[in-house]
Amino acid sequence: MTIAATALIADDEPLLREALMRLLAAAWPELRIVAEARNGREAIDLFTAHRPDICFLDVQMPGKTGVEAAQHIGRGAHLVFVTAFDQYAVQAFAQGALDYLVKPVEPARLAETVQRLQERLRASTPALDTEALLEQLAKALRPASAAGGLRWVRASAGPTVHLIAVSDIDYLRAEEKYTQVAWHDDGGQPREAVIRTPLKELVAQLDATEFAQVHRSVVVRLGAISHITRGENETADIHLKRRPEVLPVSRSYLHLFRQM
Amino acid sequence: MAASVMPPPVDNPRIFAWPRVRFTLIAAGIFGFLMGLHSTASMPLDIVRSIFVGFAVLMMFGFFEHFPRRMPRWLPRTVLRLVSIAIIIPISTGIVIALTGGATQHDFGMQLVGALLFAPWIAIGTILRQRDAFAREQALEFELVRSEFERRESDARLRLLQAQVEPHFLFNTLANVQALVDSGSPQASKVLSSLIAYLRAAVPRMHSKSATVENEVELVRAYLDLMQMRMPDRLKFAIHLEPAAARQQCPPMTLLTLVENAVRHGIDPGEAGGRIDVDIWIRDGRCVMRVTDTGVGFKGANHGLGTGLATLRERLKLAYGGEARLELTEVAPHGVCAEVSFPAPGPA
Repeated sequence: MTIAATALIADDEPLLREALMRLLAAAWPELRIVAEARNGREAIDLFTAHRPDICFLDVQMPGKTGVEAAQHIGRGAHLVFVTAFDQYAVQAFAQGALDYLVKPVEPARLAETVQRLQERLRASTPALDTEALLEQLAKALRPASAAGGLRWVRASAGPTVHLIAVSDIDYLRAEEKYTQVAWHDDGGQPREAVIRTPLKELVAQLDATEFAQVHRSVVVRLGAISHITRGENETADIHLKRRPEVLPVSRSYLHLFRQM
Repeated sequence: MAASVMPPPVDNPRIFAWPRVRFTLIAAGIFGFLMGLHSTASMPLDIVRSIFVGFAVLMMFGFFEHFPRRMPRWLPRTVLRLVSIAIIIPISTGIVIALTGGATQHDFGMQLVGALLFAPWIAIGTILRQRDAFAREQALEFELVRSEFERRESDARLRLLQAQVEPHFLFNTLANVQALVDSGSPQASKVLSSLIAYLRAAVPRMHSKSATVENEVELVRAYLDLMQMRMPDRLKFAIHLEPAAARQQCPPMTLLTLVENAVRHGIDPGEAGGRIDVDIWIRDGRCVMRVTDTGVGFKGANHGLGTGLATLRERLKLAYGGEARLELTEVAPHGVCAEVSFPAPGPA
């Protein structure tokens, strides 16, 4: 005996929404699909409007992911995650005893999930408390900006915004309100641009084996240095390989260039 | 930030490098000892004189090693160094004998002739050894550079291989194909053809070193067809290929990397999606590939951006040296324009 219930389906790919609807119609004819969402934000809005018993959520959606939508829905509905191939997520779902389906969805596997959902609805078991697990998953799926250091920086030169590979940078210099980047383009021409990110923030993201702060307001790529001349009064000057400018080394950073 | 800076490499030894000084001391010591056996002066005096002459020779030998920086064509440096040594020997011998005094004509003559016979041979030996070491060092360096290049190339290709085998894309596309088949859609066969075209084009290409622009365009068209089927309301695209550019050679997956990047970081993360324009043409003897999208732009693209592009940059560098360019700029109001250009030597 099956029971009647309502459901929401969220997937950014329309064909896959239709496919899941068709499979569900066969596996659970009494289930009524009350809403279809194309992204995480829509899923949250439609959940609030329709209050379905069950939410089928695609994990990878534009804007908010399925996991982020699930965090909003919380224990308001039984959740079933749908994913194409996501080793990490699938592992976490399995370990956390969350319901999940892998695309392309197999009818046998869907039947099992449907049965479990029906049992829970019949027994009026409240939805699983998954807050901690979802939090952890959402963090893992969120794009990690600092992972592996900064490889490109966004900088504007006049009306054009360039993406500059970090390995092309000669040096960075802090100006009053922005950071100046001096780099060489692919044609080997020296160029300059400005970034709105403060130097301090950029430094934290740069690879410490490639860049060195040599002055309160100057960070230089070590590979761009030609030679260093010792000045008076515990200072030094950095001469660059492909640029005429001379960069200052202040006293507190001089130890970097002590006799090695 | 910890950092270490290497001093510039020293190509040639300094004039008074310790190994040379040591060698000079020993050679002059032996020479002075032999002189002492036959001269009228005392043995230590002969040794001191020899060492003085020895250092004068060493100074000349070292000085003309670097000076003048550029030698005239008609005068080899070796000759200059030997002549300078031949000149300094009588002068230094005269000076040291005048300074120490008490030497006979016989002593002077013996010291002079002996030194003239002795020193140039040592100098020639040193020069030959230096030349040998230099050649060996160069061969070693060359070999090092070559193996480094090979390593980087295979690394870049490995990364390409890993980057392209994307199960997420494959399974998602297959799920779509299955949906079409299950619903009996006439589109199913067409989409399956695109997937086959994409796989056929993509799989063997990762191993080949070069492809034509035309192949790349076919691959990209198949890929974009698939993506459009998957997100019909979010992706629009157009491809313009100038016929003159069709037969150009380019590293495989160049265009696909740009297009995949536009989809992954421009179109896919945005709820509204966007449009991708692919343009390829020849200008001033260069082939230009430009992929423009109206997606979320750099702001949204803070993850993984660059993995594919960084690999592409490396591969372009390996294939064209400094002759290829990859430039990324922001498009108003939002979106990214990626442009690759490389020399086009005319149709192959």
